[in-house]
Amino acid sequence: MSVKVKQDYSYVGKSVTRNDAQLKTTGRAQYTADLKFPNMLYGKLIRSTIAHGRIKNIDTSEAEKLNGVKAIITAKDVPSMKWGLSPARFDENIFAIDKVLYVGDKIGAVCAVDEETVYKALKLIKVEYEELPAVLTVEESKKEGAPQIFEEYPGNVNTEIHHKFGDCDEALKDAYYVRTDRLQGQRTYHAFIENHCSIGMWDGDKATLYSSCQSVHYLQYHIARVLGMKMGNLRVLKTHVGAGFGGKLDPTGLDFSAVILSKMLGQPVKMFYDHEETFLNGHGRHAIGMELTTGVDKNGKILAHKFTAIMDGGAYTGLGIASAYYAGSLLGVLYNIENYQFDCYRYVTNLPPCGAQRGHGQPQPRYAFEHHLDLIGEAIGVDPIDMRLVNARQNNTVTTAGYEVKSYHLGKANEMARDASGWKEKRGKLGVGRGIGVGNGGFVTGAGFCQYRTDLPHSIGMIKIYDDGTQAFVYSQAIDIGQGSDTVLLQMAAEAMGIPYENCKMYAGDTDLSTLDFGAYASRQTLMAGWAVKRAGEEVKQKILEQAVEMFKESGRIKEGWAYIGNRELRPDDLDCKEGIVFVKQEPNLTLTFEEVARKYFVTKGVLIGRGWYHPGKLGGNHKGAAVGTSPAYSSATQIAEVKVDMETGQIECVDTWDVHDSGTIINPKLFHGQVHGAFYMGIGETIWEEVKFDNKGKLLNGNFSEYRLPTALDMPPVLSLTVEDSWEPNGPYGLKEVGEGATTPTMGAVANAIYDAMGVSMTELPITYEKVWRALKDKEKNEKK
Amino acid sequence: MVIGHRSKCIYQQIIRMLQFSEEGDAERQIVVKFVMQVDNYLKRGGENVYLPDFEYYTPDSIAEACQLLSQFGASAKVIAGGTDLVNKMKKELLAPEVLVSIKNLDQLKKIEYVPGRGVVIGARVTHNELVKSEVLNEKYSSVSNAAQQMAHNQVRNAGTVGGNICNAVPSADLPPIFIAFNATVKLTGVNGERTLALEDLFTGPGKTVMTQDELITEVVIPDQKMTGSNYIKFGLRKSGALAVVGVAVAVQVENNVIKDARVALGAVAATPVRAKKTEDFLKGKEVSDELLAEAGFIATGECKPISDIRASAEYRTDLVRVFTKRALRKAIDEGHV
Repeated sequence: MSVKVKQDYSYVGKSVTRNDAQLKTTGRAQYTADLKFPNMLYGKLIRSTIAHGRIKNIDTSEAEKLNGVKAIITAKDVPSMKWGLSPARFDENIFAIDKVLYVGDKIGAVCAVDEETVYKALKLIKVEYEELPAVLTVEESKKEGAPQIFEEYPGNVNTEIHHKFGDCDEALKDAYYVRTDRLQGQRTYHAFIENHCSIGMWDGDKATLYSSCQSVHYLQYHIARVLGMKMGNLRVLKTHVGAGFGGKLDPTGLDFSAVILSKMLGQPVKMFYDHEETFLNGHGRHAIGMELTTGVDKNGKILAHKFTAIMDGGAYTGLGIASAYYAGSLLGVLYNIENYQFDCYRYVTNLPPCGAQRGHGQPQPRYAFEHHLDLIGEAIGVDPIDMRLVNARQNNTVTTAGYEVKSYHLGKANEMARDASGWKEKRGKLGVGRGIGVGNGGFVTGAGFCQYRTDLPHSIGMIKIYDDGTQAFVYSQAIDIGQGSDTVLLQMAAEAMGIPYENCKMYAGDTDLSTLDFGAYASRQTLMAGWAVKRAGEEVKQKILEQAVEMFKESGRIKEGWAYIGNRELRPDDLDCKEGIVFVKQEPNLTLTFEEVARKYFVTKGVLIGRGWYHPGKLGGNHKGAAVGTSPAYSSATQIAEVKVDMETGQIECVDTWDVHDSGTIINPKLFHGQVHGAFYMGIGETIWEEVKFDNKGKLLNGNFSEYRLPTALDMPPVLSLTVEDSWEPNGPYGLKEVGEGATTPTMGAVANAIYDAMGVSMTELPITYEKVWRALKDKEKNEKK
Repeated sequence: MVIGHRSKCIYQQIIRMLQFSEEGDAERQIVVKFVMQVDNYLKRGGENVYLPDFEYYTPDSIAEACQLLSQFGASAKVIAGGTDLVNKMKKELLAPEVLVSIKNLDQLKKIEYVPGRGVVIGARVTHNELVKSEVLNEKYSSVSNAAQQMAHNQVRNAGTVGGNICNAVPSADLPPIFIAFNATVKLTGVNGERTLALEDLFTGPGKTVMTQDELITEVVIPDQKMTGSNYIKFGLRKSGALAVVGVAVAVQVENNVIKDARVALGAVAATPVRAKKTEDFLKGKEVSDELLAEAGFIATGECKPISDIRASAEYRTDLVRVFTKRALRKAIDEGHV
């Protein structure tokens, strides 16, 4: 049993003010695009205007004549080593060699004295192509005789996964009810506000790269590898990052170009995207075609489940291989399913590449499964929440795939959400045009393995105490992309050291000056970097307590009898430090300040440093691809949504939402609720509005926020965000688990199920637009007349 | 070198002057500062896509503005709020060589009730000024409500009545409600003024009967016998969405009988259109749900929508039915809303 250790924390569990709140709200926070360096040049990428073809000629002569143009580079000027996430699928070059694979593919880069000249130069570059037939959908990609995009992916199949646990076919034979559903997801986009921007500069043989990214470590690794540099010769750092949602984890052409051009020209080079180019950079959510077959017993207990996912991967692989595994790997964590089969095909197409987006590979399959579950429940007469309660995973169990799950309170989350939302009074009783629906979700709290093969620890923390003991500098390559990781890490560091949060300062996201961390992805930051800074803080505290013992002994303040506890001498563990005060536990009035102890340490022993180390250890699952899905801890959550559907126009309004999270200890409740709120925003948007669209030539149709419709403030319902109080995770520092990505995984299912409850027609294609609802209602009307 | 003469401050010319000026340093610095301001203003806000070069005039009178428009002909464009024009220039859909700003023409900024004429709305009145107008909120709050539904707050702060009309975008939110009120527009050109019914202004998407030298100077909502009016905009989200369908109605109802009705449809044809058959059908009939439902069906025959990225023609047609019915019901039951 996981037991919550009730502790009186000073900062953990408190909604302290974000460390960057003032900077960001007053506009003083500098993002990469705000940075300027002496003699800095500006650059942009040359992009393909066709979906598939061979490059016959690139004529840069006119552009080169333009006053202010400094350099134009293409594939012939840069290393040809391929990159990607997994070595078997390294398939992307800095610039396209010979062939372009989508409208927007990288052909080269232009660098000039100012932005305006760059735009003008781009217009003067003429690329001649030999156009090849393009495949723009999975259906076209699958066809026999379809144009082959990559030699190494015959049939355009980029990834194929076949997982089989137990025996589905046998189990289905005994099922009380078996049902198959087919559902379709859509391509979506992260829609972060800050576009990608990178600045490269050199000093001798050492390069510096500023990048708006989610992991300085991976960026450093990829760039150094492709450019043949030692990692130590490439410093990668970030300033403030205006969100990422998974879209700033793969390196971009900007990163490579900034380093290469600044070396060539001996001047700093800033490379940047505008919004449309960020859409073209892609790496958003895959459109997944999903087929689900499930057999249940009379009570709705799942006996077997078969899931097939057909993914439109776009042009390159990148993180897409992990998306494919994530599409199927986490269902068995959420629900206890003994017989499970997962088949996945990721196809390449001539569209921008797809990759990680909040919830990585999982949200669409979650929508499909949660809706499928409601349809099964309806058929056998079991309430949706009861269906979920029957199948929800329990604490301290091992999944069929071999993942060890410690704390898990999905059942409790369902019950709490049911009660908070008034489910029993509402479900099926709200009348035509109004409905309520439930969805479950969750996520890994950090991936169990590094993205590339290595024996490195996952996170290293370091804390340096300033000479006079007044400040603590916390070092980590953790990346605050807006989620507030700097703040929660400082809270945990302050708690561990026992000093005021306000006295702690973060030095994050710099490969030279801060310490190793793999960055912000897979909801890992709070747990993994959290362990590292907590342990670093504990080492600081240990040294402080040792020093304090010496000081107590030396000082005349220790009266007879107090240098001793019973028959022994005063030891460090007789002391504690909280909020900057060191005290003897048995005599709390006997105190020293952290500052005076730390200063004494500095004077007598030198700089006071604490170090922390974290590695999740070897995690379970022995099947091929088991790595994607392993984690030290799994969150779970239940969301309920209530909607109104205009039965004449199909207009959908999400009127109320509830979320109950099993996230272990909540380090900062305000940031936690912010994550839930943002997740609903994203999930509701993807359910009803968002879709990246292309024309029949592969040209992007809606690369802007006018036609790529995100919800507005007026479209957002109120969010009631609750937590399961008993949730305490032994594998997380202070008992914590993730919230960031898992929170967006139940939403599409919950909203879609509410829409179904309101209109009585199952909507099987995302996004569930007003027009699709209208059409479905018209069809229903027609069928009823017949 | 004089830069204070407002009607002649030309962006390109200043740059040229900068390059060749032999004037003293102090004056040069003023010029540099001014150019920086213009430059920053022009670069602000977009997606780092640069505006093409143009000459920029700020006339002090309507006559001067018309004179400039006449002089430069097709190469000139009027700029007021710029919410449409600047975007089109950034996307290189338009490349006017001359911009004539009417920002100094304060006489176009008024909303007032003139007995005998009606409510007179100047062309430079912004959407948010319509939203806040006491005159309109008292007499025809349906106009304020229509203005409130357009785009985002920032755009409503800048975008003007004249711009919304003369761009002749089929989905514009103001024309339908103005047409339902039988509003007129006053056009002023080098040869004087003319007034015509707003519905006669539009000839196609982006096209009007205006000549090159003409400005819209005012819109007039004549005194009404209409007892109620309403505009329903249907966009694909609650804010920041273009109308997929816009339906405006004005009705005169006495003793539950419709004495007069005007119905105008937006975003479902090349121009805003009057649904005259629907109007004729309604006149003289007693109000009932069946009547309004029938009116909705008739209205579907009076639009010619297209299919585009936002909606299919079939969907738009059915929405015309629904919103004609609903807008009529609202205008009948609640007055000018």
